Amino acid sequence: MQFEKQVEIQAPREKVWNFIWDVDQFIACVPGCKEAKTIEEGKRYSATMVEKVGPFKVEFPTTIEVLERDELSRIKAQASGADNKIGSRMKLDLEVKLREEDNKTILQFVAGVDILGKLAALGHGIIKRKADQVLDEFAQAVKKRLEGDS
Amino acid sequence: MAMTTLRHSDLQTLPISFTLNGKLQELDVEPHELLLDVIRDRLGLTGAKRSCDVQVCGACTLLVDGRPVSACTTLAFEVRGRSVMTIEGLAENGKLHPLQQAFIEHGGFQCGFCTPGMILAAKALLDQNPHPTEEELKHFMHGNICRCTGYKKIIESIMAAAKNISEATH
Amino acid sequence: MLRRFRLEEPTSVAEVSELLGRFGDSAKIYAGGTELLLAMKEGLVQYERLVNIKGVTYLNEVKQNNGEVHIGALCTHRELENSPLVKEKLPALAKLEENVANVRVRQVGTLGGNLCFAEPHADPGTLLIALGAHLVAEKGDGKREVPAESFFVDAYETALEPDEVLTRIIVPVPAQPSGICYMKFGYLERPSVGLAVAVKLNSGKTAIDDIKIAVGCAGPAPKRVAEAEAFLKGKSVDEATRTIPEAGETAGRASQAISDLHGAQDYKEHIVQVLLKRSFQNALSQCT
Repeated sequence: MQFEKQVEIQAPREKVWNFIWDVDQFIACVPGCKEAKTIEEGKRYSATMVEKVGPFKVEFPTTIEVLERDELSRIKAQASGADNKIGSRMKLDLEVKLREEDNKTILQFVAGVDILGKLAALGHGIIKRKADQVLDEFAQAVKKRLEGDS
Repeated sequence: MAMTTLRHSDLQTLPISFTLNGKLQELDVEPHELLLDVIRDRLGLTGAKRSCDVQVCGACTLLVDGRPVSACTTLAFEVRGRSVMTIEGLAENGKLHPLQQAFIEHGGFQCGFCTPGMILAAKALLDQNPHPTEEELKHFMHGNICRCTGYKKIIESIMAAAKNISEATH
Repeated sequence: MLRRFRLEEPTSVAEVSELLGRFGDSAKIYAGGTELLLAMKEGLVQYERLVNIKGVTYLNEVKQNNGEVHIGALCTHRELENSPLVKEKLPALAKLEENVANVRVRQVGTLGGNLCFAEPHADPGTLLIALGAHLVAEKGDGKREVPAESFFVDAYETALEPDEVLTRIIVPVPAQPSGICYMKFGYLERPSVGLAVAVKLNSGKTAIDDIKIAVGCAGPAPKRVAEAEAFLKGKSVDEATRTIPEAGETAGRASQAISDLHGAQDYKEHIVQVLLKRSFQNALSQCT
């Protein structure tokens, strides 16, 4: 499943960039994400993703790896996790791009999400909708945090 | 990770009694046991089959109080105080039920896998509606799937049985 | 094989609600089990306790109360398809119930369970919205009524609070001259698109006094399509019949159709349009 999101943030580029690398702040914007830890600064992180669709709940302990980093402009990362209780795996390929326009920063996400295993039984449509909602909420939360204290 | 609410003392055994093919049966079951497993594995009656396991195909059809249920998706304790009929209980004193006879005479089965469920569902239909139209028959039997026969012979068999049964009772 | 669980067998709604409140996510109401047990078998959900609500026996009655039919949440689909009262006052609902799943599911599956599980590909919710039904939710000694059109929040999600129990479905008997029609389309086990129309004509039977349209199965939850209703309301019967394709397009777009194994989004939207035309004609023919 492919997703593309773009959000305009009333904040300078450097502030947005630094925000992304502030693990605690960043993770706080991801709905259902908790217990974020830095394993290797700038390279590897871990977190637990908890998502619910009605009565169906998944808990993915997730490892996030930063693959590429272009200072102040681009990040490429990969995340994967497995919920053994429900027999499902999640894979995420994420590219984050920043660019400056007027006095705003345009933050762009391109995400490829794969859900494997039993959870897929819920149906591609339902899962896609949920993933879309999560990414939307995330983008809005980032915007709010960054604009909030400027 | 949430703590469990269960203690060892919460483990349950439910004593149930029900009539099975006319005979009283008394068993202890755990709440999570499925009727199909109890009938097949504990009571040795393997006419009912586990096929789709999602109550779509009808191969596990049993009659509880004369009405068709999917044994694969019925908890065993639910038959307490009720009467259960399996295909093994249809013939009386070695004499085949008119439905069984009709299925043989009209070629209503090939591999036979769906047949126990088919016959029991048909019995439930004829018990409720002794003279179904073909439309009514198809509607009632809609949830019993056959991969072999193409259904024509099954319909013929059931209609023939309906005729025989009603002639026999007049 | 299912995972082990403990069976709780309360005999009152208050007890059910108390158990749900006490055990939270680790307990679930169990009625017919036609959806729940499947999800448990799949391993998609796990519960330590199942609360057998069938012990609350007064929840399976069908009664008439002035101009309303009160349906207990524990009524099975089979009971409703055969109920003389439902067949007389709400024939469209009796017909819908007759065509839910298969005869074995209808035998044990309950209307309440169907509504509360809120599977997107289900039938009753759609018609209940078009009928303007109200759902009664109870807990402890509290009771509230939720209109059917607000009950379905999202796929597998209803407006019920965690310790609330759906006890009754209240359906107003339609005023005459009116026609009610539910139609569904599907070739898989569950329906792919469902549509319900409730039309009330003026006494001269020349114009649409009121119309309710609901679409189900195509999107994550059944919903009322007010935009299509507004388009048709007040029009003469002839004008409405002529412009029904346009109303169908509006309804299709408003249905929030999701592309999945049942069909692509635009395919489902097209089916909505077709079903609206057919069910509208059917409903009109009931009025005359």
